[in-house]
Amino acid sequence: MKKVLWQVLALMLVASMVLAACGAPAATEEAPAATEEAHAATEEAAMTEEAPAMAEVDFAYPAGGALEEALKGTYAGTTVTVDGAFEGNDPDGVKLAESVKAFEEATGITVNYIGNKEFEATISVRVDAGDAPDIVDFPQPGKAAQFVASGNIVPVSEYLSDEWLTQQYNQSWRDMVTFDGSEMGVFHRFNGKSLVWYPKKAWDAAGYPIPQTWEELIALNDQIVADGDTPWCIGIESGAATGWAATDWTEEMMLRTTSLENYDAWVAGDLAFDSPEVKKAVETWSAMWFNDAYVYGGRSSIVTTFFGDSPTPMFDADGPKCWMHKQGNFITGFFPEGTVAGEDYGFFYFPPVDPAYGKPFLVAGDSMYMFNDRPEVRALMEYFTVPQSASGWLQGGGALAAHQTATPDMYGVELEKGIAELVANATSFRFDASDLMPGEVGAGSFWEHISSYVAGSEDIDTAMQAIDASWPR
Amino acid sequence: MRGQKQRKQFGKFLVNLTLLFIIIVWTVPTLGIFVSSFRNRTKIDTTGWWAVLPHREWQAVSELDPKSLDLDPDGIMEIEGISGTFDEFRTGVETPDGKRLTWLGNKRLGRIEVQEQVWAVDWDFSLDNYRQVLGGQDFEFKRPDGTVEVVPGDNMINAFLNSLAVAIPSTVIPILIAAFAAYAFAWMKFPGRRTLFILVVALLVVPLQIALVPILRDYKALNLNGTFLAIWLAHTGFGLALATYLLYNYISQLPRDILESAFIDGASHFTVFTQLVMPLSLPALASFAIFQFLWVWNDYLVALIFLGGNPEFELVTQRMAAIVGARGQDWHLLTAGAFVSMLLPLIVFFSLQRFFVRGLLAGSVKG
Repeated sequence: MKKVLWQVLALMLVASMVLAACGAPAATEEAPAATEEAHAATEEAAMTEEAPAMAEVDFAYPAGGALEEALKGTYAGTTVTVDGAFEGNDPDGVKLAESVKAFEEATGITVNYIGNKEFEATISVRVDAGDAPDIVDFPQPGKAAQFVASGNIVPVSEYLSDEWLTQQYNQSWRDMVTFDGSEMGVFHRFNGKSLVWYPKKAWDAAGYPIPQTWEELIALNDQIVADGDTPWCIGIESGAATGWAATDWTEEMMLRTTSLENYDAWVAGDLAFDSPEVKKAVETWSAMWFNDAYVYGGRSSIVTTFFGDSPTPMFDADGPKCWMHKQGNFITGFFPEGTVAGEDYGFFYFPPVDPAYGKPFLVAGDSMYMFNDRPEVRALMEYFTVPQSASGWLQGGGALAAHQTATPDMYGVELEKGIAELVANATSFRFDASDLMPGEVGAGSFWEHISSYVAGSEDIDTAMQAIDASWPR
Repeated sequence: MRGQKQRKQFGKFLVNLTLLFIIIVWTVPTLGIFVSSFRNRTKIDTTGWWAVLPHREWQAVSELDPKSLDLDPDGIMEIEGISGTFDEFRTGVETPDGKRLTWLGNKRLGRIEVQEQVWAVDWDFSLDNYRQVLGGQDFEFKRPDGTVEVVPGDNMINAFLNSLAVAIPSTVIPILIAAFAAYAFAWMKFPGRRTLFILVVALLVVPLQIALVPILRDYKALNLNGTFLAIWLAHTGFGLALATYLLYNYISQLPRDILESAFIDGASHFTVFTQLVMPLSLPALASFAIFQFLWVWNDYLVALIFLGGNPEFELVTQRMAAIVGARGQDWHLLTAGAFVSMLLPLIVFFSLQRFFVRGLLAGSVKG
């Protein structure tokens, strides 16, 4: 009996060693071969032509930069590591791989994506240990601030011209990656948040209009109530992050009831939560939320409904239980299986409250930062400044390109194309404020106290003062 | 006498009843997840897993058009002899003959369903969740020229092999080292033995998290980062303190007589260790092997730090975390994922379990 055990153990050990041996290096063995081939290719090219051959690409690139050099095959065989907050195998990971394929093919540089879901914790460990990835995809510019302060990030001005960036980006996007006056990264892709989703078939059958102004929205609310239904599906439960959906509504209202200067001051901590402006913004949405006739399940169910489940009643087999849901475009992933954009559901722009503040758009998205300064890393950073570098998302859905050079024909998904049009019509846009505020507030007290306010355990003054008190100064 | 027997039987019955209750409480949630893993997301969302059991359900038998009945939805309505408000009919009003009237849709466009209660079971199972967990998802990309390209996602086989490649050496290596160490601490005399042993035991209380950054820095210097050797060594180090302590407890309790007679016959320490101690401590080795294997198999943090998020080296735990999607929209896949990832630990447990259940020492020494 014991002999068998030892035999089994030995066999397993040997098997696992073999597994490890053939599992791992197979990938690394390929790389040198590819390098040789690439070298051979460049040598050949150099022999037959005087100037190195340039790879034909369908994206623009700045003249005289590292990307232009890379397209000649100069850096073929090198590897650039990219870290981020999504797994390499999940939808975003596959889309990133799709997006950089054109870059890899044209330059011979390998892009190695190593991100994971515990990114926020592991990135600090990695950087502290001196093992920083070459490029980091931060889902919030706020997190990058920490590494800007510690001097780990190479400023954009060292490798990209102001002229090129002005051509590629609307100024707002550049402002969002600027820390203390210096631009540290480049924006890559984003999600629109100022969207209201509705069940299209039932909506059209009921003959409801798309509201263009706040008054029309209120009138629609009352019409739906008069028809015996509930207008809104709202849920803000999200485990430890409960409340973030309510912070989004606050941000929407800040953009719609006060000036952009006040919004920026609020993000920077110069405008207190306890100020009349912020309180007015909170009260504007809570007037709607706290009306039990307007919210499916009533006010008390808001805090306990999972944000991903909250739009589900719109698609009830017996007709919509509620008719509108405000959320970023990622929410379609939570809609019941088989629902189709444009048929089962549609969306419209969350209407402005006060016409004086135009049509603002709330966004959240990913920006890229360079940690290690090598020519091939610069080349990839330059690639991230063109809309083709987000092609995986544009063609597969899930995000929009942050570049103003993106054209509608780059979008393969009607949904994203439609959102891109709404974004193009917006008069201004701002990044999700809670993602920009210090972590203690934006990912802590703001969520916590806004949830208490919605639950009714704190009044507006107590909640706002508590958030102000937690702001690190 | 008889009364005592009866009381004894009653006590036994009570113990069995309690055990049965505990078993049910422990297994029902698992059963629920198991049943749910065969249902699609909409089903999990709308009805509980117990819908697979026979139950009473309302089913529509006929429909009424409110418009033809000339009703006033804002006031009190009378339908088929039952009166009620719109809200009451919305939730359903039961008639005396066991039927139910339910208003579906809004006041303007709605209809009234007459429903009857029937026995129903929901046995609409699918293997979709398992297919997605094992086979990976497909991604569609619509190219500018109008063609649609489908890119298959990763399947789970790679993650399974990686997890095995990590878990088996990370179980065997610490056991071998710890068995030698435990023997030395228990049966060999050398200066500083007590101090060293106390040091090892003291290491038990050190949380492994504080070692992550320094070790990562060393690995970086040694160029070991992101290799299997790195994670084997890490798990060996983190598991060694407990392994040594556990095995020491067992090995030091082996009957002195057996070992002494071996020494008298001229056996060396190595012979005693391989011929006597190892076979005799099989139960302890097996139980620690189970512990260590399960810990390594379920480990997420250590693998994340030392292997990195490299998709090439993705483990089952990382795969599970990734499977729910960036925002958790695919939570329903976790049901199937849980059972897939549970499979191997269960096999290990049941195949090693008999080794530590057996009392190997029974009858080896008299008295």
